[in-house]
Amino acid sequence: MESKIGFVVNPIAGMGGKVGLKGTDGVLKEAIKLGAKPIAPNKAQEMLIEYFAQYSKKNNIKWYTCKGEMGRDELINAGVKNIEIVYEPKNKKTNSADTKNACKKFLKIPVDLILFCGGDGTARNIFEIIGTNIPILGIPSGVKMHSGVFGITTRATAMMLHEFINKHLTIGDAEIMDLDEDRYRKGEWNIQLFGVAKGIVEPNYVQVGKMSYESVSDDEIKDELTEHIEDEMEQHSGFLFLFGSGGTIDYIARKMNIKNTLLGIDAVYKRKIIGKDLNEEKILKLLDKYKKAKLILSPIGAQGFILGRGNLQLSPKVIRKIGLDNIIVISSPAKLANTPLIRVDTGDKELDRLFSELDYMMVVIGYRFSRVVKIQTNNF
Amino acid sequence: MNRNPTAFLKEEYDELVKKDFDWKLRILETGSSPHSVVDGKEVIMLCSNNYLNLSNHPRLIQASIDAAKKFGAGSGSVRAIAGTMKLHMEVEKRLAKFKGTESSLIYQTGFAANAGLIPQLAGKGDIIISDELNHGSIIDGVRLTKTDRAIYKHRDMGDLEKVLKDADKKFNRILVITDGVFSMDGDIAPMDEIVKLANEYGAMSYVDDAHGEGVIGPDGRGIGAHFGIEGKIDVEMGTFSKAYGVVGGLIAGSQDLVNFAYNKSRTWLLSGSHPPAVAGAQLAAIDVLETEPEHVKRLWDSTNYFKKELNSMGFDTGESETPITPVIVGESSKAKELSNRLFDEGVFALPIVFPMVARDKARIRTMMNAGLTKEDINFALEKFETLGKKLVII
Repeated sequence: MESKIGFVVNPIAGMGGKVGLKGTDGVLKEAIKLGAKPIAPNKAQEMLIEYFAQYSKKNNIKWYTCKGEMGRDELINAGVKNIEIVYEPKNKKTNSADTKNACKKFLKIPVDLILFCGGDGTARNIFEIIGTNIPILGIPSGVKMHSGVFGITTRATAMMLHEFINKHLTIGDAEIMDLDEDRYRKGEWNIQLFGVAKGIVEPNYVQVGKMSYESVSDDEIKDELTEHIEDEMEQHSGFLFLFGSGGTIDYIARKMNIKNTLLGIDAVYKRKIIGKDLNEEKILKLLDKYKKAKLILSPIGAQGFILGRGNLQLSPKVIRKIGLDNIIVISSPAKLANTPLIRVDTGDKELDRLFSELDYMMVVIGYRFSRVVKIQTNNF
Repeated sequence: MNRNPTAFLKEEYDELVKKDFDWKLRILETGSSPHSVVDGKEVIMLCSNNYLNLSNHPRLIQASIDAAKKFGAGSGSVRAIAGTMKLHMEVEKRLAKFKGTESSLIYQTGFAANAGLIPQLAGKGDIIISDELNHGSIIDGVRLTKTDRAIYKHRDMGDLEKVLKDADKKFNRILVITDGVFSMDGDIAPMDEIVKLANEYGAMSYVDDAHGEGVIGPDGRGIGAHFGIEGKIDVEMGTFSKAYGVVGGLIAGSQDLVNFAYNKSRTWLLSGSHPPAVAGAQLAAIDVLETEPEHVKRLWDSTNYFKKELNSMGFDTGESETPITPVIVGESSKAKELSNRLFDEGVFALPIVFPMVARDKARIRTMMNAGLTKEDINFALEKFETLGKKLVII
């Protein structure tokens, strides 16, 4: 069967990196002035060449792409033939509107997967149009790659594409994250969680026989995690429960009929929501009122952060008040396989040190089922 | 309601076939021998668990015949009611002595031992801590309980200690459970360190030594003897169906353990006991291990030779320390192809592919057999070398 792949390159992605800018969003001219050279087209081509060398004979793909450097040129240079141009950028200097317009075309076809080359900004632009309708796979090329849609290397991305086409990999949650670049240039480090897209993930496996495994859907794992959290709430009925952000925790909340927010921090007491999308101040007030609290977190994005990316409302003061012992980290085993470390960056050296002294955390990966995972606090 | 109550049988089977996940049974037309006839083809057997070739040993066969003649074909009952024969008791007594433990208990199978005993050892408020690569029957045993579960990185004692430290604060009983010899890689659990850590944190230790019984330790006495800690492991679980050449599961440990186990394990209480022919052969297997050390010695000589030759050809045999020698080839498709072509050339060894092992670590798993001659091994090696070159593995 022919697979339909939408392919888009953000030719300017990654240009800010070598000249010390965290991204090219809004500062392309400055980047070029500082001597930045295009990176994405080469990265895209590198991945395509790897893919065709390893797997092309085995797969049948129709490529939908854009004119020029936004896709067609890279495909042609890699020797790809079965191409259809669905979008033509108006200017030679492309921008985020072009990426979005291309995605509108992909959505109309619709393609089975969007393969893109860029960074967090590009992922965000794609997500804004595609939402969760089509899975996204990123060839790493940008300056910032906190989102969970990227392959680790161009080579790994090629393998993921092959395995996805052959149904060995499946579709799962992938957080879209980006640095607020304006604030960053003002000296503030603020990675925001923009949404939860569909990415390509390794299935969760369980052994069913001596030498046979079955994959278990992500939802089944999340159901188990839900049971675990329900158990915790029953055992600690006098506690306030703070629900962190991201797809896994969102699923659990919905399963428990708790009307939470996907991207924010919500407060739950006796299975009822008592505060939505809370900021630091509101969380502190609730902690004063309820005294005992537990915080449920799940690794967000590609690098396995539980604190410090996408949830700055959980400030050092909040974390201290809750206490490290009252943090419950949950994750599907497959997600944990991709991010074997959990990372913490609270912005408070002393608090980071406390985490690093813990050295590890027990991460819940199923109903009353956990595994040891190392904590990394030295993130730079 | 209008429903076809059995439609799922075919649907689910067809789905397995479609994904190529169904078992295609190979039929043995001979006994499980070093040279077997499988699907009409004579092959060198490199994938049976009959490590010492005891299933073909004249003393075991004779003991089996004698016991059947004397005591009949079946045992008539479950052990708990009227199915415990003097012969069963004799096997347990001799086994405990052989393994250097106070007592032992025979289960119907190794799976029945794990599935029956593990859920009794820990329940709500307790925790079972397990190596991430433990065998399926341990995992099922663990699943049958309401206990908490935690896994540690394969053979990583630092990781195990972290889990123990955490568990110490939160749970009542703690059970640390591991394979003795890991069946995919052939490496051995550091049982001495596990027991030490378990003692330190007041945890029980449990080892599934299915691939170690009859293979490791002096005269094949198993993992306790291998590390010189006989009787120190709380539960030494094993099997008669691999190196011992018969069938049946076993546990060895204290009298308290055995008393507890046979009163509590539902698998033991609710299954018929072994027929006399089985018990007779089990007893003979222990006899042979005690009096004929040459089988274990030959198994190890052949293993060491086979490994050394494979390595000198350029094959990657991983971390194996036992007669399970993986020949790591990379991609799953390559492992399957190598296995098929080996079979065509007269060597029977199964491929192990993702997700049993990492995507890039697909392999052929070979298991040495003490009944193979040097000539046989050289034959197999030659096939590995030729095909390894053809498939650009070496």
